[in-house]
Amino acid sequence: MILGKGGRAGSVVIVLFLGIAAVFTLFPIYMGLLNSLKTEGDMLNGILSIPSRLEFGNYADAFRKIHYWRSLGNTAEVAAIGLAGIILFASMAGYKLSRSTGRLSNAIFLVFVLSMLIPFHSIMITLTRISRSLDVQGSTWGLGFIYIGLGVSFAIFLYHGFVKSIPRELDEAAVIDGCGDFRLFFVVIFPLLLPVTATTAILNLLWMWNDFLLPLLMLTNSKSYTLLISTNMLFGEYGNNDWSAILASLVLAMLPVIVFYLLLQKYILHGIAEGAVKG
Amino acid sequence: MTWTKKTKQTVILLAFAFPALLFYAVFVLAPAFGGVGYSMTDWNGLNPAYSRVGFANYVEALTDDSYFIDAILFTLKYVVCMVVLQNAIAIGLAVLIESRRRTKSLFRTIFFMPNMISLIIGGFMWLFIFTKVLPDIAAHTGLRFLDQSWIGDPTYSFIAILILSLWGGVGYLMVIYVAALQGIPSHLKESAAIDGANAWQSFRYVTLPMIYPAVTIGIFLTLNSSFKVFEAVYSLTGGGPGRATQVIALNIFEEAFANSNRYGYASAKAIILFLIVMLITVVQLRVMKNREVEA
Repeated sequence: MILGKGGRAGSVVIVLFLGIAAVFTLFPIYMGLLNSLKTEGDMLNGILSIPSRLEFGNYADAFRKIHYWRSLGNTAEVAAIGLAGIILFASMAGYKLSRSTGRLSNAIFLVFVLSMLIPFHSIMITLTRISRSLDVQGSTWGLGFIYIGLGVSFAIFLYHGFVKSIPRELDEAAVIDGCGDFRLFFVVIFPLLLPVTATTAILNLLWMWNDFLLPLLMLTNSKSYTLLISTNMLFGEYGNNDWSAILASLVLAMLPVIVFYLLLQKYILHGIAEGAVKG
Repeated sequence: MTWTKKTKQTVILLAFAFPALLFYAVFVLAPAFGGVGYSMTDWNGLNPAYSRVGFANYVEALTDDSYFIDAILFTLKYVVCMVVLQNAIAIGLAVLIESRRRTKSLFRTIFFMPNMISLIIGGFMWLFIFTKVLPDIAAHTGLRFLDQSWIGDPTYSFIAILILSLWGGVGYLMVIYVAALQGIPSHLKESAAIDGANAWQSFRYVTLPMIYPAVTIGIFLTLNSSFKVFEAVYSLTGGGPGRATQVIALNIFEEAFANSNRYGYASAKAIILFLIVMLITVVQLRVMKNREVEA
């Protein structure tokens, strides 16, 4: 215990303080949820009060206005393409770059690592132009491809460090048994990378799911809008005037991450701490 | 044709690295180098023809563009507040929840939750709080200080942006600090307690020095993310009222995609942001090296 000598009174003060901070943290989420279940009239009568009856019409409205299932599907598609590419390509490159000792391998690794300095805002203008000329702008798969490019360097960095903990003797034994390079990697090494694969998957999934600016620039067609873009567009359309539908859509948009968080909390917190210290 | 062992190894290395390199080269390296090139042109995004203008864009951005200079100054103000507040609050929360046994994981779950939610979603929810809920509370309770023009008045909208950013960001640093606190051997604090140290002395002379490496990480993570702040401002104030809360990233975004379509000029601003972030990182690496030597 750090604050050991406070005794019982000190303990009450600490819990009280933490309780206030927790109320503050949950307050906007609670208010959003509460008022998303009210009619416009109920909201005018009292924003803080419990609704006189639960109004689910806002949700039906929001579902339609942000094309919930389609937007959710698009978001999942982008994240799945990005994640598959990042994990496959980064584990391959991270493994081989970590095992090879030559100057070429060091140079390639350095190029990947150095780019982690580049803020997204510094490349977004030219990236938009390149994507347009390569015809990847506007589609969900194109967006997934771009995420692969943006995400591989940090993932390679994580894999590169982790591979060092796997004994080289394992590679040598497999080679003596006549195992080729690719089979060695996919059959022997890749399963051993599971802990770092989990960390990489969680960090990248959260990043892609919550990323806003890149899809805003890339998704020019409303059919391929992700959850955040649909919500943002709805807000742009109704602004401050139709809070019932907007709050319902905000609740719908954050529902998947909240569920994901409550289910996998242990792994997520571990992955975050891991990624932050290495980054 | 027979390959020497070395050639073969090089080929295999390239085969493993090629897919990652390809995507990376197309979507990161090419835009980065292209951006440097375009920053020295008067390209406007629409007209295919453009000419080279040397460093004129950089000179204009740093001497003649009062909106951009204001955006840099506003961002600096934001960064300073965030570095101090975000780390202080995160350390405070980490220390307090580490002192709990039964409620520890409950509080950690709650405090980290906003980090999971996009700041676009969080920003719209806070906008509802600032424009609808707080005035309502003020009207019913007489807490007059809550009834401010949170979004319309530059002073208060700065505070609103800070509140949103802290709400979304503190949990992340808290997790890092909790991990650092758990690494402190308990006998250190016990012996401090035996020597008669009170809670504050124990924190100041035992806990804090032991988590210095984490504080360094926390400060630089905050520096890095705050200079690039975009979503919190975009969703809450959109840079307004007027351009009073415009940050660097938003200024670049609007220059390129909303107002003038001056891609070349906006690219120069983007490179300036890159140089700022790089400078911070170089300083960071220096500081961390020195710390390691001391330790």
